[in-house]
Amino acid sequence: MASVTLDAVTFRYPGSRGETLEALSLLVPDQSTHALLGASGAGKTTVLNLLSGSLRPSSGRILLDGSDVSNLPSAQRNVTQVFQFPVLYPAMTVRENLQFPLRNRGWKRADAAARATEMARELDIEPLLESGLRVLTLFERQLVAIGRALVRPDVGLVLLDEPLTAVQPELKWQLRKALRKVQTDLGVTMIYVTHDQTEALTFAAEVSVMQGGRILQTGSPIDVHDKPSHDYVGFFIGSPGMNFLDIEVRQGRATLAGGPLLSTHAADGDYRIGFRAEWATLGTTGLPIQITGFRADGLIDDVPVGVVTAQSGSTRLHVRHRGDLPGTGVCLQVNKYLLFKEGRRVE
Amino acid sequence: MLNKPVNQRAWLAVLPVVLVVAFSGVIPLMTVVNYSVQDILDVQTRFFVGFDWYRDALRDERLHAAFGRQLVFSLSVLLIEIPLGIMLAKAVPRDSRWTSLMLVLLAIPLLVPLNVVGTIWQIFARGDIGPLGAALTALGIDFNYTQVPLHAWLTLLAMDVWHWTSLVILLAFAGLSSIPPAYYQAAALDGASRWQVFRHVELPHLRSVLMIAVLLRLMDSLMIYTEPLVLTGGGPGNTTTFLSQYLATIAVGQFDLGPAAAFSILYFLLILLLCWLFHTAVTAGEGGDRP
Repeated sequence: MASVTLDAVTFRYPGSRGETLEALSLLVPDQSTHALLGASGAGKTTVLNLLSGSLRPSSGRILLDGSDVSNLPSAQRNVTQVFQFPVLYPAMTVRENLQFPLRNRGWKRADAAARATEMARELDIEPLLESGLRVLTLFERQLVAIGRALVRPDVGLVLLDEPLTAVQPELKWQLRKALRKVQTDLGVTMIYVTHDQTEALTFAAEVSVMQGGRILQTGSPIDVHDKPSHDYVGFFIGSPGMNFLDIEVRQGRATLAGGPLLSTHAADGDYRIGFRAEWATLGTTGLPIQITGFRADGLIDDVPVGVVTAQSGSTRLHVRHRGDLPGTGVCLQVNKYLLFKEGRRVE
Repeated sequence: MLNKPVNQRAWLAVLPVVLVVAFSGVIPLMTVVNYSVQDILDVQTRFFVGFDWYRDALRDERLHAAFGRQLVFSLSVLLIEIPLGIMLAKAVPRDSRWTSLMLVLLAIPLLVPLNVVGTIWQIFARGDIGPLGAALTALGIDFNYTQVPLHAWLTLLAMDVWHWTSLVILLAFAGLSSIPPAYYQAAALDGASRWQVFRHVELPHLRSVLMIAVLLRLMDSLMIYTEPLVLTGGGPGNTTTFLSQYLATIAVGQFDLGPAAAFSILYFLLILLLCWLFHTAVTAGEGGDRP
């Protein structure tokens, strides 16, 4: 069992000019699930490699349960990892794969065998224990890989690097369910890396959104959805992403493209407002827009429900809408919004 | 499906391939078969002798000796070159700017013509003027590969190792490079030792390239001819006469085309058999748990 602390961790690949990770700080409480979410190149996998010990931080400290492991070799950390594809020892049977980490730590054969059986039962793969890997499906192999990652009872932290990637879509939820089950049963801390927000938001108690080697925001899935700290987070999270419009604030009043006035406490200057598709409605007053499309998600009480795509000048907007589409002269009313300046949320 | 037009002229489309295969493989081989069952004195005078030549070849004690030497040679070559090739492939730096330069340098011996390889080592190992031979002489070893059978064998093996280990290195290097880094990370987290990483990660992933390496080296070493001919001429005595050189002695030296043809067929079948045995043994080992 382990809590994880990253304390101003910086990492630079030798020979590269910029930093891959810049003064990254993060606290993951013991026995919790945390997701690192971001586009590829954001530095998610580098964080995992630092935690697993395949990379060492250029500066800063990594703490597991309060003790500094920044420079410990992988084998001496209570960390294991599940990779994008099933990483197993090809010439071993399922049982030998499961026992391998235990035997390397001096477990007696009988004890290791008992523990392997226990693990297989937990993951529902007991009948496969004595088979070789060739007869296993990709899904079963990934289950074995998860089993091997969790087989050591002293493991505190399990790193998951997009573990559902290799599995067929229809089995993804099953694998995620299995992961959630072992997480709650065994009480390990899990750090889950993905670029898929649905995976991240449904798996983890807390999410960190990363971009360009920094963590932009850490919070519960609801928090990062409703109160993004940066416009990038608002745009990245949610389907559709957050809408943004440029506004000008003069003496506590915001003018939206010559349209409606919003009162604010922000200082004078240029801002952007961000609002979710649910926070706006179509009406006859407000910001004039042109509707360009409608994607119906379904019918509720025979009324179509979906997302309207609209254009205001060159800006594309999404508005959640219920009912038939209004005709000409449509305006947008923003009922709730967040104020951003230079990418950061100010209000 | 049932309404497929039947057109026997379509066979003509296959004809070119049949002709090419016939001329490149079947007809030359049948010529040898033809010689192997007849005693041909001149164009008019020929006798059908059945399997006599084969029986003679199988009873030929000099052939037995050459066969024994051949097996020892091929086995030694494999036992040295495969492990050495893997070890050196592991030592080649990966993802370095020296990598491609090293691979090119390693490939150089593979590009040297066979008789040149023989000549290089003939001079290199000479006790009086060759750098290797002279060095051994200076160390107080009376090194003479033209007189001492053991020295001849060692020189031959050194030559073959120099010539062909690079092939194993290149193949093993390609195999090692294709192992995703995640396997090494997982092994490190599992507390695997360096030997275990080799045994449980690298070796299983190298399986198919190593099979190709062993097959290539096995076939090639079984057919070795030019290099020993240039280096030792099969001597001292017959101690480095291998199958192909003995065959050449019968066919070209004594012009006994019948026995030589029978011997050729047996030689061909032997190589085929050994390679098949090896391939079957390797694939049977991995096929045990297939569905």
